Amino acid sequence: MTGRVTPLGFSVLAVAGCALSLAVLSARPELFVAALPLLLALVSLALRAPALDHRIAHEVSRARILEGESVTVTITIQARAPIALLELLGPLPTGSVVVSGRQRAAMTLGAGHTGRWSYEVRFGSRGVHDMGTIAVRVRDRFGIRAWEQRHVDPKPVRVYPRIVPLRSLPRPAHARASVGDYVSAALGEGIEPGDIRQFAPGDRIRQVNWRASLRLGKLYVTQHQRERNADVVLMLDTLAEAGRAPDTTLDWSVRAGASLATAYLARKDRVGLINYGGLIHWVKPGSGRAQYERLADALAWADVVFTYVAKDLAVVPPRVLPPRAVVIAITPLLDPRFTRAALDLAARGFDLVVLVVSPVEVTRRALAPSPTIDLACRLWTLDRRARLAELHRQGVAVLEWSPPEPLELALAGARRRRPRLVAAG
Amino acid sequence: MIRLLAATLAVVLAAAPVLIMPTPAVAVIAVVGLLLATVGVAAFWRWPVTAAACVFLADYAAALWVAAGPVNVAGAAGFGLALLFMLESVDLARRVRRAAVDGAVIRSHLGRWSGFGAATLASAALAVALASALATPMPPAIAPLLAAGGALGVMTTIAVIITRVALSRRSVGR
Repeated sequence: MTGRVTPLGFSVLAVAGCALSLAVLSARPELFVAALPLLLALVSLALRAPALDHRIAHEVSRARILEGESVTVTITIQARAPIALLELLGPLPTGSVVVSGRQRAAMTLGAGHTGRWSYEVRFGSRGVHDMGTIAVRVRDRFGIRAWEQRHVDPKPVRVYPRIVPLRSLPRPAHARASVGDYVSAALGEGIEPGDIRQFAPGDRIRQVNWRASLRLGKLYVTQHQRERNADVVLMLDTLAEAGRAPDTTLDWSVRAGASLATAYLARKDRVGLINYGGLIHWVKPGSGRAQYERLADALAWADVVFTYVAKDLAVVPPRVLPPRAVVIAITPLLDPRFTRAALDLAARGFDLVVLVVSPVEVTRRALAPSPTIDLACRLWTLDRRARLAELHRQGVAVLEWSPPEPLELALAGARRRRPRLVAAG
Repeated sequence: MIRLLAATLAVVLAAAPVLIMPTPAVAVIAVVGLLLATVGVAAFWRWPVTAAACVFLADYAAALWVAAGPVNVAGAAGFGLALLFMLESVDLARRVRRAAVDGAVIRSHLGRWSGFGAATLASAALAVALASALATPMPPAIAPLLAAGGALGVMTTIAVIITRVALSRRSVGR
């Protein structure tokens, strides 16, 4: 703990000096007497510092939340020696607001007493926030000396992006050999009837199609289409963003990524992630609840890192980008380097879907409305339309999403445009 | 609550010189001090309150000097205490602004101030008795020099103490 004289101490010193000067000038003893309490208070500085012995502990109600949810911070102070005035400043990360209670507290504690206070913090933006630092200030009985300390006990709170349920998803063109929810063209074990053929030794009786057998006079069996899963790789553009936090294009892209990941994982697909930006970071495809945690963590960390260096996707290992995976590129199309990388993937034969997060409306909402802004946004929209048309011409499936409209609306177009699964494992 | 206390103390400090010497000049200075104190209390600023305390002191000195009445030790000690408590209460109000304040904070401060007030009154009575005893054998020509020297000595001592505290910044406690 570091001790220091407070500004109040200097104020008292100034007033005491003023009183003594006036006393000498006016030759009135009352002013000497008036200066006496001020001087007595200052003399306490010469006394030995009191024994400061207290213990601080704090708890955060939840370590993992979704955007817009809140956590309760509870701070407990146990004093072993009397404390005249204890000031505490609880953690409040950038982008979060206090919903109930106060972030600051002032209390007086006797020896052996325990003080406790709590407040609720709501997180508006995703990320990993540290809630582990509490600023502590102890003041003496006159408030003219203070000791300061930082209580550090790391309490990270992971704020994951909001998820919206999705029903329409871009269908992968290729399936894997593992069991999933997609009806494959290949025949085998499954639920969907595919074809009938003549009975052969080894066929099960329950596969016999009795209606066809009676009509044709020979035994026929029903064949089913296999149900398979697919590899889905989400490619997030972290090269540039537009708008104001917590509603930048990257924030919306991350929410879209989290929603898509959740929906695909629910269909038993393997989902991977590539954060393509100043720093390339990836999560190799996987499935299940643990994979969702990995993806959500990676998405929570996603941030724009400025760089002039264009990264090559060749650095991404094949196990992260499986050859027959459907790649969903989520981008505001603000940086041409991402477009080039996406087109490179399409040229390499990947099944590519580009989900374009329009920055126009996001930017408009961040600016004060004016005719100039309207005109600029209209021109920008025209420019972007031309760019999207160029992507269409190159044979890339493009879905345009203009937040805050529902993502489902943008994805509904995918079902109409995407071909039925043609190849199967 | 705390600000109300500070405002009350400011009113008391402004009224005291006017009660001693009710002249327009003293009243005008008191109003200036009161305005400064109002600004400080309303805006939680420390410097207007410090300035107001100095103005109140100047007003008090002027009123005493013009009135040239008998020495009132209790009144002077009360004036000094009011100055200290006004400065402390504004500082405390500033500290606890937008904070969850435990009720014990106010109670303990009021209790502490009461004890300190009584101690100050006793110290003042003792100091005046001591000064009276010393003043009797002293030649009148030396008294102003001794007073000035004493004041300078006290201020120097306190300045040295503050400098030591500021420089040491030693670590205490856990």
